[in-house]
Amino acid sequence: MKRRNFLQTLGVGAAGVSAFSCADREEAARLRAELANASEADLTWTKAPCRYCGTGCGVEVGVKGNRVVAVRGDEKSPVNRGLLCVKGYHLPGMLYGEDRLTTPLLRDGNGWKAISWDEALDLVATKYREALAEHGPTSVAMYGSGQWTVFDGYAASKWFRAGMRSNNVEPNARLCMASAVMGFMTQFQSDEPMGCYEDFEVGDDFVLWGNNMAEMHPVLFSRILANKRVNPGVRIVDIGTRRTPTTDYADLYVEFKPGSDLALANGILHLLLRDRKVNQAFVRENVVFKRGIEELREIGYGAWGPDGRGVDASAGPAERYAFADQGRDASLADLERFLADYTPEKVSEISGVPVAQIRALAEMYGEQGRGTVSLWCMGVNQHTRGTWMNNLITNLHLLTGKISRPGANPFSLTGQPSACGTAREVGTFAHRLPADMLVANPEHRAEAEHIWGLAPGTLSDKVGYHTMDMFRAFVRGDIKVLWTQTTNPWVTIPNLHRIDRTPGDGRFLIVSDIYPTPTTEAADLILPSAAWVEREGVFGNSERRTQQWMKAVDPPGEAREDAWQIIEVAKRMGMGELFPWPDGAWHEPMYEEYRRFGVGHGKDLASYEQLKATRGLLWPVVNGVETRYRYAAGHDPYVTKPRGVHFYKAKGYGERAAVWLRPWHPPAESPDEEYPFWLCTGRVLEHWHTGSMTRRVKQLHQAVPAAYVEVNRADAERLGVQSGEPVRLVSRRGSLELPVLVDGRGNPPAGSVFVPFFDESRLINLVTLDAMDNISKQPDFKKCAVRIERV
Amino acid sequence: MRMLPAVVVVLSACGPGAQDSGRGVAVGTSGTVRATRRAYDGAPPTVPHPDPGASCSACHDADGQAVGAGVAPASPHVGTAQVGGTERCRQCHVFVATDALFVPTRFIGLPQNLRAGSRATPGAPPTIPHRLLMRENCAACHAGQGIREEIRTSHPERQRCRQCHVPATMAETYRSVLGVAPEGGARP
Repeated sequence: MKRRNFLQTLGVGAAGVSAFSCADREEAARLRAELANASEADLTWTKAPCRYCGTGCGVEVGVKGNRVVAVRGDEKSPVNRGLLCVKGYHLPGMLYGEDRLTTPLLRDGNGWKAISWDEALDLVATKYREALAEHGPTSVAMYGSGQWTVFDGYAASKWFRAGMRSNNVEPNARLCMASAVMGFMTQFQSDEPMGCYEDFEVGDDFVLWGNNMAEMHPVLFSRILANKRVNPGVRIVDIGTRRTPTTDYADLYVEFKPGSDLALANGILHLLLRDRKVNQAFVRENVVFKRGIEELREIGYGAWGPDGRGVDASAGPAERYAFADQGRDASLADLERFLADYTPEKVSEISGVPVAQIRALAEMYGEQGRGTVSLWCMGVNQHTRGTWMNNLITNLHLLTGKISRPGANPFSLTGQPSACGTAREVGTFAHRLPADMLVANPEHRAEAEHIWGLAPGTLSDKVGYHTMDMFRAFVRGDIKVLWTQTTNPWVTIPNLHRIDRTPGDGRFLIVSDIYPTPTTEAADLILPSAAWVEREGVFGNSERRTQQWMKAVDPPGEAREDAWQIIEVAKRMGMGELFPWPDGAWHEPMYEEYRRFGVGHGKDLASYEQLKATRGLLWPVVNGVETRYRYAAGHDPYVTKPRGVHFYKAKGYGERAAVWLRPWHPPAESPDEEYPFWLCTGRVLEHWHTGSMTRRVKQLHQAVPAAYVEVNRADAERLGVQSGEPVRLVSRRGSLELPVLVDGRGNPPAGSVFVPFFDESRLINLVTLDAMDNISKQPDFKKCAVRIERV
Repeated sequence: MRMLPAVVVVLSACGPGAQDSGRGVAVGTSGTVRATRRAYDGAPPTVPHPDPGASCSACHDADGQAVGAGVAPASPHVGTAQVGGTERCRQCHVFVATDALFVPTRFIGLPQNLRAGSRATPGAPPTIPHRLLMRENCAACHAGQGIREEIRTSHPERQRCRQCHVPATMAETYRSVLGVAPEGGARP
């Protein structure tokens, strides 16, 4: 609804958001005439990864008359082998919504006025320069995403860290993958999975932890189903808090009470130790044991409390994220003592999972003859104990030795096309540098200064604001100028009321995007971006595959790619030496400079030339050859021993992986008499994230036109509501009206409801809780308490 | 190929009320009806009937079935083995809950071109102008009930189509023979 108002304020004929004009109609008629007798053979086809999720399916893009008119699943792509999901098949529609942003727009009273790129870029540079001069480098910030290409993220990171001398650069991947990052970093001291998608054909048992893979990673789920068809012994276990389309294909459905997954994982570990299923030889050779802060009152639930309009009697200081975990040595015997509490009976009581199912899971993980692949995504990561839960899943593999070999791996799925390639590998987090390096580490800063040609001491050692803090700092006024690109935070930040903003508050918000959104509505200046194949790019997917594509069509109007916008502002601030490459020919040299960070460190990326010629390669790429299984002898060129594994990146652990002892804690907020239902939020197959792209695709919008609340039939009958009828969801933070859906594609158990977050006119994040994992700083969108009111 | 402006009426076979609402009933040439359900030639069609709450393959099997007054076309995917996409129809085919748009679109898709195949001589068997992935069951579209007359085979009794009709896109199959390096680099 608010977006409609935004469009109205533009008025008739505003240049930024164009309506159909005579010229458009003429162009459409021309294109239709050109296509009238054309077939696939008459199109120009180029390769590109899909724009949406972290799977990284290959597509072939069919172009005619400077327009994308078709796509095909790329049969040459080892990711998807020609198959796509409904979003992928309808990719081109995403480029052609009528309201594409086509020129810079400056807020003008209650409306907007179109301005030139020169005016817009000068204005951005001036605002940043003023803030730096008056308030210093902590007062400026940039917020991007896992949809930033490698170029966008690298340009932003280099400009901010090397030019602005500020680490206030963040990606929305903080809301998405940060717990998986901390999981891998705490256990292997190097980010990202050891396995690859080949695991889906080779594995025997697939254990999905809180992961609706059939809808969220459909093409990868298809690979498991294809394996299962050929090998009927393949088993799929769906461990979840509601039934989903994934459950329909599962051999075993394990339903647990929200937040009790750590108890369940510890219960499985308890049985593995009790039943002597630990792979002792593997553990002796490759594993160390660690434990950190375990007390609830010490770790807390992140920034939750009075400021968040929550009620947390034990909260103490509202801002509790000044927490730092401190690892100390432990042993297998310590683990056994630690797990003594997690008997099947006690775990069953906490989790609601029957004892027989806990035993079945322990047998599955403990059976040495079968390859086990654990898969997870947002259910585990968007969790107040997300890092810990990542640790526990990987512990299951480390203790059984089911790791770093084909068909036996813990595998973290990603939600965005370059969450791995950009956010994690380029390192666009407030504490990161490229290739696993940290801004707080003086040696790492020195290496970055060397590659970037900076004087020693140039880079700041002060970790910047993480996402949750960045937006609060902006609303508080500690950040004066904030620029967002390729993301929609005024839809996706939990507990949105906390970042309500009225433009004219003395801060300056710049938003680069391709369509109007609730975030552009909060902006002072809107910059029109080029999308997907309207520019050259590189993405990195979940399995460490780096994929490159070339520009295939021109962007509409004056829209320009995000990296170009950054470089142009940097030049206007006198920081042009950071980007010393010729206009129009900077992609390859920028990539090759970035690639220097990883070469020789086990994060070796393929050359740009090789990326152009292939459907992407899995890093580390040494001598032009990719690595399917990291740390594995015979696969990983950094492993010199003849067999087994070598966790060579974990220098701090004697080149072994760490098993962490992690307890179960109750969730930050649980249902009570006043708010008796659990609320879980997430996605649906047809829409991607906030829907700013997919809702503009006819077939996708028409399939799922609005958000709804899934309610269990028993609850619906008790409340006296039926599918289609509106109800109001109320939490301690906000409320929202939604139509009820009973027996939909997802079905929560009694006492739980589910709401997708793609619908900007029904913002479920007005209701959600902004508690977070105090290690990863990733908020929990999956668990809070609500009540349902009839409307 | 002679173009037949075949006028067909496709009735929704599933669920009462579909005809009343107008949805699921499409009148026009088979080509225009086909186009309304596809973003471009090659895109998976949307489902023109309401969700019957049953398995898709119960009606859309290898041969297709008469359902009520209409026809459930055969699945062209029967036989697809190398990708698992055929296990989950709704991964690609979605129902239509509304005719409304979120915002108008300027997307223009590649239309179907029935003259796309080629013949060496007037009597020679035409090549297959489309890819075969997910289209292994030729008869689903070229034989049987409910199919488009324009592409109906004159010889459905001959079961082995690809004995005479070869795909025009076969060159890709021989990529490695033709000297292109395998992707991912040569493995040691």
